Amino acid sequence: MDQYPARLSSVFQALADPTRRAVLGRLGRGPASVGELAKPFDMALPSFMKHIRLLEDSGLIRTRKRGRVRTCALEKKRFAIVEAWLSAQRAIWEGRTDRLEQFVLTAKREEDTT
Amino acid sequence: MIGSPDPDLDLTISRVIKASPPIVWNAWTDRASLEQWWVPAPAKCRVLEMDLSPGGSFATQISENGRDFEPHMRACFLAIDPVERIVFTDALTGGWRPAERPFMTAIITLRDHPMGTEYVAHVMHSDNADRKKHVDLGFYDGWGTVAEQLATLAEQRA
Repeated sequence: MDQYPARLSSVFQALADPTRRAVLGRLGRGPASVGELAKPFDMALPSFMKHIRLLEDSGLIRTRKRGRVRTCALEKKRFAIVEAWLSAQRAIWEGRTDRLEQFVLTAKREEDTT
Repeated sequence: MIGSPDPDLDLTISRVIKASPPIVWNAWTDRASLEQWWVPAPAKCRVLEMDLSPGGSFATQISENGRDFEPHMRACFLAIDPVERIVFTDALTGGWRPAERPFMTAIITLRDHPMGTEYVAHVMHSDNADRKKHVDLGFYDGWGTVAEQLATLAEQRA
């Protein structure tokens, strides 16, 4: 099966958050440690780590731990996926269809229980 | 009549949804329902106009990050076949008035399926020049902007 839409969804999910976009923006200037990246945000470290993990899972960044310091860097190859214009449109419609499906299933469940 | 698909300009999303076509149809055609799923959370959607007939206006607004509602989509329904098909385009606005920036036509079809509904969204886009404009405007769900920011980012790193 074609894995492309799933991969694309994870990329766009990763991008759908202002904190994560800001992290990517910072990493665009070069690699940085998690501590450095977390500094501008008023957020507990475990919450911030969730964002980092999501970015890493999407393949947009890679991280490496040396001693006690985890360093993050952009994974540029992954960005090609987003650059294609049609991919962006596909992601919109994939997302829209996902949400429609979720909405319908939730509505149906409520109907079944009443 | 449907022309042949253009791989550079068209996209097709198909999905089997485990609910009957009337339920899916209602989720699409009821304003309050459409508002729930049309744009990605946390952005909010408001349906301004949804006149379900050929030539009827279909207009939505979007609010991002708690800001005021802004125009999102202004389109015109071309065909409404109850519980089967919805066709709309933003090449026209309500009453078949030509739109300033034609961009896409979407054909939504619902078919009975043993598991529920076979849902297909076939979306056809206009040519490159027009798409570029839309990306510049960052118009669609903000993804145009995001994609562009990312392209810039990636180029910086190149």
